[in-house]
Amino acid sequence: MTEKRISHTDLEGLLGRLGERGDVFAPGKDEGGDVVLMGPRHDGPVALDYRNFRLSPKAFLLPQNQTLIRFEDGKAQEPSVPDRETFLFGVRPCDARAMSALDKVFLEADPPDPYYAQLRAKTAVIALACTQPVSSCFCTSVGGGPGDGAGADVLAVELESELLLRPRTAKGEEVLAFLGDLLTEATPAAVKEADERIRAAEDRIAPVKIDDSVQRLGHAYDSPLWEAAGQKCLGCGICSFLCPTCHCFDITDEVRGGTGRRVRTWDCCAFPLFTLHASGHNPRPTPKERWRQRVMHKFRYAVENFEQVFCVGCGRCVRNCPAGMDLRTLLKTIGA
Amino acid sequence: MTASHEIETLLRETAEKLLREKKVNLFLGYEKASLPFRTAPLFLTAPEDAQRLAWNPFCSANLAVYLPRLFKAPADAREAALAAPPTVGMVLKGCDARSVVALIQERQLQREKLVLVGVACPGMVDMLKAQRAVRGCEVLGAGEDAQGNVRAVVEDGTEVTLRRAEILADACQECRTPMPSIRDIMLGTAVENKDTGVARQRTAEFGSKPLDARWACFQAMLSKCIRCNACRQACPMCYCKDCLLDQTRPKWVSAGSDISDVTIYHLVRAFHMAGRCTQCGACARACPVGIDARLLARKLSQEVEDLYGYRPGEGIEATPPLSTFAMDDPQEFLTEPSLIPAPYHPAGEAQQGGRAQ
Amino acid sequence: MVRNPYLPYPARIDEVIVENEARDIKTFRLAFEDSGSAEEFRHLPGQFAELSLPGVGEAPFGIASSPTETGYLLFTVKQTGLFTSELHSVESGTSIGVRGPMGRPFPWDRMAGKNLLIVGGGFAFTTLRAAIKYVLDPANRSRFGSLLAIYGARTSGELMYKNDLAQWQGRDDIDLHLTVDKADEGWTGHEGVVTTVLKGLKPSPQNTLAIVCGPPVMIRFTLYSLGELGFTDDAIILSLEMRMKCGIGKCGRCNIGSKYVCKDGPVFTRQELKSLPAEY
Repeated sequence: MTEKRISHTDLEGLLGRLGERGDVFAPGKDEGGDVVLMGPRHDGPVALDYRNFRLSPKAFLLPQNQTLIRFEDGKAQEPSVPDRETFLFGVRPCDARAMSALDKVFLEADPPDPYYAQLRAKTAVIALACTQPVSSCFCTSVGGGPGDGAGADVLAVELESELLLRPRTAKGEEVLAFLGDLLTEATPAAVKEADERIRAAEDRIAPVKIDDSVQRLGHAYDSPLWEAAGQKCLGCGICSFLCPTCHCFDITDEVRGGTGRRVRTWDCCAFPLFTLHASGHNPRPTPKERWRQRVMHKFRYAVENFEQVFCVGCGRCVRNCPAGMDLRTLLKTIGA
Repeated sequence: MTASHEIETLLRETAEKLLREKKVNLFLGYEKASLPFRTAPLFLTAPEDAQRLAWNPFCSANLAVYLPRLFKAPADAREAALAAPPTVGMVLKGCDARSVVALIQERQLQREKLVLVGVACPGMVDMLKAQRAVRGCEVLGAGEDAQGNVRAVVEDGTEVTLRRAEILADACQECRTPMPSIRDIMLGTAVENKDTGVARQRTAEFGSKPLDARWACFQAMLSKCIRCNACRQACPMCYCKDCLLDQTRPKWVSAGSDISDVTIYHLVRAFHMAGRCTQCGACARACPVGIDARLLARKLSQEVEDLYGYRPGEGIEATPPLSTFAMDDPQEFLTEPSLIPAPYHPAGEAQQGGRAQ
Repeated sequence: MVRNPYLPYPARIDEVIVENEARDIKTFRLAFEDSGSAEEFRHLPGQFAELSLPGVGEAPFGIASSPTETGYLLFTVKQTGLFTSELHSVESGTSIGVRGPMGRPFPWDRMAGKNLLIVGGGFAFTTLRAAIKYVLDPANRSRFGSLLAIYGARTSGELMYKNDLAQWQGRDDIDLHLTVDKADEGWTGHEGVVTTVLKGLKPSPQNTLAIVCGPPVMIRFTLYSLGELGFTDDAIILSLEMRMKCGIGKCGRCNIGSKYVCKDGPVFTRQELKSLPAEY
């Protein structure tokens, strides 16, 4: 796979060219001054001075509200979803890697999820390597890194005056080929600079010993630490909804008149009603059981089922938890 | 006002003593969190752990939210017979005290099972305002200087001073009772409560916009909502075992972030807060997408105050008007619409005895 | 093209049968609208399906009929929550959606050549009916050894499938014992809980597999008695219930440890369950 490059000043042109083919989402500043993925037509200037988006881009593959079935006079129909391609530019490597975790659940595990499959197939992810990690980042401790390209089709790396573009999949190769004359071959110097910048970013991320957490969790089911952590948990959905790998959902029917839909919505294992039976029995009755489920699922059960930790170290849960919970603290000591 | 580090020392000593003398089974306070500009709740049971307690400009969380669940009877009747509710010690600011008073009035807590350690609050820092003040630079650590301002160390090693007044949480700027109205022990000096009028001013400012503009503002604000329920979960007054907004029979509101469901969620919650919301700001603080969840509840609180002269949480002997019934309550409004005070009269215009719109 | 696993097969309720005196348990006989669906829906006893009413929702139910009963499916539903209440209020002719079959069935391969002990209590007998019908079918009977079934309910009025039970009592290829907690006038079966009957019959664990379905209390005591009788953990088969939504292991709700009750269960041996956390 040959690497390409484009100068910073030509980035808008690149996005414009992609815009001829599909919907383009690229980082831009919203009214609040936060950088978010804006689209489907990217008009404003591309903002590259951000750490990561507040919300993860998982909504592009697993929307928060997704119609599964349309009802018309009681007859069920699959909704039609436009086939127009979607290009996501500027997704951080942690969020792209999360997509490969979601692939394991929705594409590889039998039966495949057709809704997810369609969105994944029509979406091309151009990840942008990180140069400025923050203290809540811990991607390197969960198998990822600021220059990791897993889950992405192309990995872009910001250099002094240009962007290096590294194809990661056949789709990525095709996208770069489509961009044709806008790109030039990457020079060995550019490749070297990219690797150096990535290494510099890696060095700034404090490692957390997670790999042996997975092992320790295997015999930590009855640890008193779960109660201590569960005491603080408020039972909101911030961690799950902001997490790029969390995928739990609910399915409900909505009807008005004779028309209606069956809709899939994001759900959260920390919600008290998540496992409540109609009989009133709840296998996870208090925050302690629910917090344990959260950590076990991501760091133990997912490894048993998919050989991948369902955490990419993006740090959103740490930054946004209203109770100041930090699962790195728990992982360091659990089962020790 | 007593300096923070002095309060911190007093607090640690007090908590240690209460636990050691078994006057409390559990002490609720704050400790240092893993990221700057915030603290994490601390549940202490061992006296020697009292050293972990912190008192600084980032102790903004309302710990009263944890109290109802500590006092809730276990579902299993056999367990309930064995367990007695714990005696809980807690450090509390003015806003926390208002929540505790309101919860006691609503029979969610037992006063005799609480040991309240009051501190006059100088106002707490809003994490997002602080982050914006350092212009998005990474902060390695933050503390307090002798003037009560925040000293932050940014990623390149430089130190920055952030004036506390400029990064104070909105709720703190509006707070009328920084002195806890209910307490068993008082740490540090008292302060005088005063009404800055900021809350009224802000509500009036918003209310002065034309209706279309206000609605557009609400829609823009609510369109960011991701239905994480953090505002509700962080609110000490939202303790219902089966929240209306989660019910399936009937299903009042769907799950998901559809704008009509989001709007109903926020409107219903605001109305359920009327006459109960203590304006602590926990909702706005918890929101991950920056919705000012206080906007509606603040307006409704002011309406209740105007109609009934009632300020939630400020007097434990006061009677919450919307959850009590007196035999001599006026009932003519059911049969005599003209007796409904303006601006609620169906004709819309201020008539006898009402406030001007 | 692979079928969309979220899309239900359209079906029709052809008959509603009230099973118990309290009238809160009904059996629904369903037929697929499209014969192709019936072809695709090949199940084994122990499996479940998600039934849905458009605009109401979806819920998982054990399949109460055996695949040897052709042309229809039976689901027995107890009225508990939103969906079941709505289902209980509809009449024959109502359209209904069926997704499935889902889950791991009873281990029929292992059960071949074995004696079978079936112990059921109350409402949980649904998939056991399917299992018994399957075993008793002439095409299958010779593949299995003896069949001893114990079924108990609070009162005789609460026993389900009364016609099937009467029919089975007349057969000599099944030894059926019915019991009620409180006998009423005219009751000729046992009186006492299921475990009392089990202990009285003393079935041998030799070359025998036991399937146990019932409320948690019954299961607890039955497992104890089976242990005393010498049954090993891998010879005891259970079926679990969990709150489910997707039924295909994606929505993350029904797991016990790393196993999903909808995919890796609902049938588990006692040995498998012991290796999972007790969170159910």
